[in-house]
Amino acid sequence: MELTKNITLGVYLPGKSSIHNLDPRTKIITATIMIVLLLISRSYAAFALSALFVGFLITLSGVPAGYAMRGLKPMLPVLAIMWVFQLFLFKAPDTTIYFHWWIFEATAAGLHMGNLIILRVLFLFTVTTFLTLTTSVVSLTDGLESLLKPLRAIGIPSQELVMTLVIALRFVLILAEELEKIIKAQMARGVAFDRGNFIQKTRKIFPVFLPLFIGAFKRAEELIVAMDARSYTGGKGRTKMKTLHMGRVDLEAAAAMIVYGGLLIYIIIFTEPMI
Amino acid sequence: MHKLIETNGLTYYYRKGTRDEVKALDSVNMAVYKGEMLSITGQNGSGKSTLARHFNALLKPGQGSILIKGLSTANKDSISEIRKIIGMVFQNPDNQLVSSIVEEDIAFGPENLGLPQAEIIDRVDWALETLNLEDLRREPPHNLSEGQKQQVAIAGVLAMKPECIVLDEPTAHLDPRGRREVMESAIRLNREEGITIVLLTHFMSEVVHCDRMLVMEGGAIKMEGSPEKVFRQSAEIKSAGLDFPVASQVAEGLRREGFKIKPDIVRTEELIDCLCQLKS
Ligand SMILES: Nc1ncnc2c1ncn2[C@@H]1O[C@H](COP(=O)(O)OP(=O)(O)OP(=O)(O)O)[C@@H](O)[C@H]1O
Ligand SMILES: [Mg+2]
Repeated sequence: MELTKNITLGVYLPGKSSIHNLDPRTKIITATIMIVLLLISRSYAAFALSALFVGFLITLSGVPAGYAMRGLKPMLPVLAIMWVFQLFLFKAPDTTIYFHWWIFEATAAGLHMGNLIILRVLFLFTVTTFLTLTTSVVSLTDGLESLLKPLRAIGIPSQELVMTLVIALRFVLILAEELEKIIKAQMARGVAFDRGNFIQKTRKIFPVFLPLFIGAFKRAEELIVAMDARSYTGGKGRTKMKTLHMGRVDLEAAAAMIVYGGLLIYIIIFTEPMI
Repeated sequence: MHKLIETNGLTYYYRKGTRDEVKALDSVNMAVYKGEMLSITGQNGSGKSTLARHFNALLKPGQGSILIKGLSTANKDSISEIRKIIGMVFQNPDNQLVSSIVEEDIAFGPENLGLPQAEIIDRVDWALETLNLEDLRREPPHNLSEGQKQQVAIAGVLAMKPECIVLDEPTAHLDPRGRREVMESAIRLNREEGITIVLLTHFMSEVVHCDRMLVMEGGAIKMEGSPEKVFRQSAEIKSAGLDFPVASQVAEGLRREGFKIKPDIVRTEELIDCLCQLKS
């Protein structure tokens, strides 16, 4: 059981590419725009263009493509189930019926709906993973903090929220390691996690989470005390060691984004949606 | 000598007023002197951590008082000043590091103090250098050994330039090497940077490197003095449930065998010197 190996979300691969050198604010804004565009994309042509663009970005960053996709592996069964559900259960009037059995009908509309959902999940996952793979958590949160700062004016404690995120991200790996330790301890006591049917397996996993949660609360309590001891009193009056600067690469990125975004919007408007 | 911390009849109850009230501190009178290296030992539950948490106002006295350079922790307005004077390092490094990058974590304290950017950078560099962590500055903490993580935690406190650093069992989770390195750092900060050190520990091998020690039992201070003086009182040490340092155990054994070993040996180095003289 190697749980930490398959977690790529929140992992950072240091590098010196122009993608790595972008201001985190540029990356956050670009990723957000991409996600919105992907959510309104409904045609195969639109996804093909996005695939080209994302492929271009990954190549530019030097991140191994296999690595970027590894985190998908544990999600594959869920995606497959979602796809089958859409294929058989999505109903649309006057659509081709491929296959009919009892009350189930595999329709063309269902097929396209299934594909659309899978494509969206794939792209959302790839874009967010790519963002965290090329941006350290620290610069990511610095960027977020800087972007969200205006929200203070309307009473949203943006700095504190970002601090919470910083800590949560640091603890993801610790908790994954801890989970692994607990599972190994249970295995040493003779619990066979890999045997039995789905329900039996689930029942064996359950007692693992209780110690994990208790441990997490204890950690949180200790962390609060330690932060207190280091004079943390919230965002007010805090200064930062690093300040952010936009440069030439950021302009180039904006230009690339405008070209891609423009083309994609054109495709979205003028091509036939898949469903 | 000048007193940095002084308690007077300090008493503290956990869950006061409930049925399972615990009297964790029982009228403690003690002081920490500026520039010294003080250790506090005692069995589990003897109240060491509870006392230490009063030093930087994480806990407020139930009865009695505690003054940090004349400032009372009971006064809300002094707390930020007190936390600048007294830094604190805890047992588990994983639960005190905030950031996913070493240098950012060390900057956390100075950032909280609202220092100017240039000053923060200087302090982070200084803390990294003082603890020999320069090579690790861009590393994420989960790539470090437990000992290195604890050094980072110490650096994070050091960067706030406190006058005193309180370490609550900083070596409890470490292997012998990590333990030695943390101990060396503590000694160096005391000798070279003049920082007052308060070390809570169960290891007598660490206690003997301190100028002075306190032994706690049942929330009260049972013994006080230099390690030489305290370990002379064998009966009391045993009743407090403590061990003797290895060097004094060996010295005692040799004495029983008829060797002429001078009294009050607590440090291994002293024992070695003594044995060498015996040989010549
Ligand atoms: N948060 C708490 N709530 C209730 N009781 C507590 C709490 N923390 C400590 N105690 C109790 O207070 C007493 C003193 O505990 P303290 O943690 O100060 O001891 P310690 O000397 O630091 O022990 P250790 O060597 O185990 O760290 C113990 O009886 C303990 O059970
Ligand atoms: Mg303790």
